[in-house]
Amino acid sequence: MNPWPRQARILGICWRAAVTGEMEYRFNFLANFALSAFWMLWAAAGASVYFRFTGTVAGWTQPEVLVVIGLFFALNGLRQALLQPNLERMTEYVRRGTLDFLLTKPFDAQLLVSLRHLKVNNLLDPILGLALTVVGVALSGRGVSAAALASFLLLLACAVLLMYALSVVLMALAVVLVAGEELGRVSFAFVELSRFPVEMYRNPAQAVLTVVPVAFLTTYPAAALLGRLDPYLLLLAPAVAAGAVVLATLLWRRSLRSYAGASA
Amino acid sequence: MIEVRELAKHYRVHRREPGLRAALRSFVRREHVTVRAVDRVSFTIAEGEVVGFLGPNGAGKTTTLKCLTGLLHPTTGAVRVLGHTPHRREPEFLRRISLVMGQRNSLFWDLPAADAFEVNRAIYGIAPGPYKSALEELVDLLDLEPLLHKQVRVLSLGERMRCELAGALLHRPEVLFLDEPTLGLDVNGQAAVRSFLRDYNTRHGATVLLTSHYMGDVTVLARRVLVIDHGTLRFDGDLAALVETHSPHRLVRVTLREAVPEQTWAGLGEVSSIDGAVVTLAVPRAETAAIAARLLTTLPVEDVAIEDPPVEEIIRGVFAHA
Repeated sequence: MNPWPRQARILGICWRAAVTGEMEYRFNFLANFALSAFWMLWAAAGASVYFRFTGTVAGWTQPEVLVVIGLFFALNGLRQALLQPNLERMTEYVRRGTLDFLLTKPFDAQLLVSLRHLKVNNLLDPILGLALTVVGVALSGRGVSAAALASFLLLLACAVLLMYALSVVLMALAVVLVAGEELGRVSFAFVELSRFPVEMYRNPAQAVLTVVPVAFLTTYPAAALLGRLDPYLLLLAPAVAAGAVVLATLLWRRSLRSYAGASA
Repeated sequence: MIEVRELAKHYRVHRREPGLRAALRSFVRREHVTVRAVDRVSFTIAEGEVVGFLGPNGAGKTTTLKCLTGLLHPTTGAVRVLGHTPHRREPEFLRRISLVMGQRNSLFWDLPAADAFEVNRAIYGIAPGPYKSALEELVDLLDLEPLLHKQVRVLSLGERMRCELAGALLHRPEVLFLDEPTLGLDVNGQAAVRSFLRDYNTRHGATVLLTSHYMGDVTVLARRVLVIDHGTLRFDGDLAALVETHSPHRLVRVTLREAVPEQTWAGLGEVSSIDGAVVTLAVPRAETAAIAARLLTTLPVEDVAIEDPPVEEIIRGVFAHA
């Protein structure tokens, strides 16, 4: 039996509840949307400062940087909507013993713990971010071939998996340390580094960000969309993403072995 | 059904003395001690049995329960439940058990109870037919109809506990682990949960392992008890046998028509209380009948009642001996 429909159904029920719950606060939703739009435009305006004096920074033109900034907002929005609310609750799950129940259910606890909650207010951020990306591509004057679009989608999927893997690693740490309030900031910092193309950082920072692998979040997907991607990355990115997810899952399972529960 | 052999669970915990200096010292060099939460405990539980698990706080009850449900990996020893090794957490195993913990929330907090049940239905993969009949039965037995469409987090503790029980039983588990299921409930709530559990066990023959601080839970539900203290098993047997072995006395409560001098009681037993015309004597178990007969023939007695001391007292006796 294929387990996916069941898992999708369970997450569907949880997400539906989150949506109905938060939709009652229309003002919050709209205010958040306006705020996200403001921060994104502020970031775009901030980047334009560099380009008052030069046409390109580290080989990136202004519209190309907009593509990266848009992707950054899209990924960060997804992180805030889907990963952050679950990571924040992880310590509470351990302290209050909710994890006990999740672990005694015949279901993949990792999936349930990592994706159960959804913050509706941030759900529009990815769309907003992708809109800026589209604007950046249009302004760059480059046409997007079908192959470039396909590579972009593949690399974007890898970026999402990488973010997810980091989130699972942090959840595993929360189980072991039983103190995870600060862990959410690690995931924020990781994504925050991808605000600009990694080439804009000096070495050795650039090398570190390529290995860490921040470059896979926005720089490479943007490069794919703009048709300037090194083709070997089409193989490397899926390998890195898959490796990260496998490693994160192993760490999660390992953390459960040392799990001692909320009370003995 | 449940087999526990020489089960031990040790925790390595970080220890430090109070105070800033000790805190600084422990920051640099940690001192660890091993806590033997459960130490070589063995027992077996047969299908359909309801067993009470008694012991003071920190005795090792919950740790044992967590080893049986697969949450904790035993340090040594072997645990088999329904033919499975619990800590492998195989779905076929988890589908046949359920864990209910008082004052803990297993249902999805932000959903209405009906939706939270629906999540459990999806998780356990319960077919529509059995789900409908299980839900109808539980709604009826636990009187859940008015609660179904309220969010779990707005329910009172008692209401939530009833919903928790329903959620835990929708998939008709063969083994039910209950950890303090009546904790914090008022008298009515406790009675409702107890009578429901007794009914459920009779109807479905589920095996139940129950820990509780409330002796009432255990006396109503369990014939057999396991008494654990400091991680070791002190007693395993019938509740009645526990009472007999660990309480050499019975209580004879005499209601008098008129007052009698205090020395009357000498040689009859130990006076444990005098409350107006009602005198309670602790008498040796073997002599209970003879003493009761003597009381009736020699004193102006209106009524005589013979009872066992409260189980709490007996359990305290077990720990005091140990």
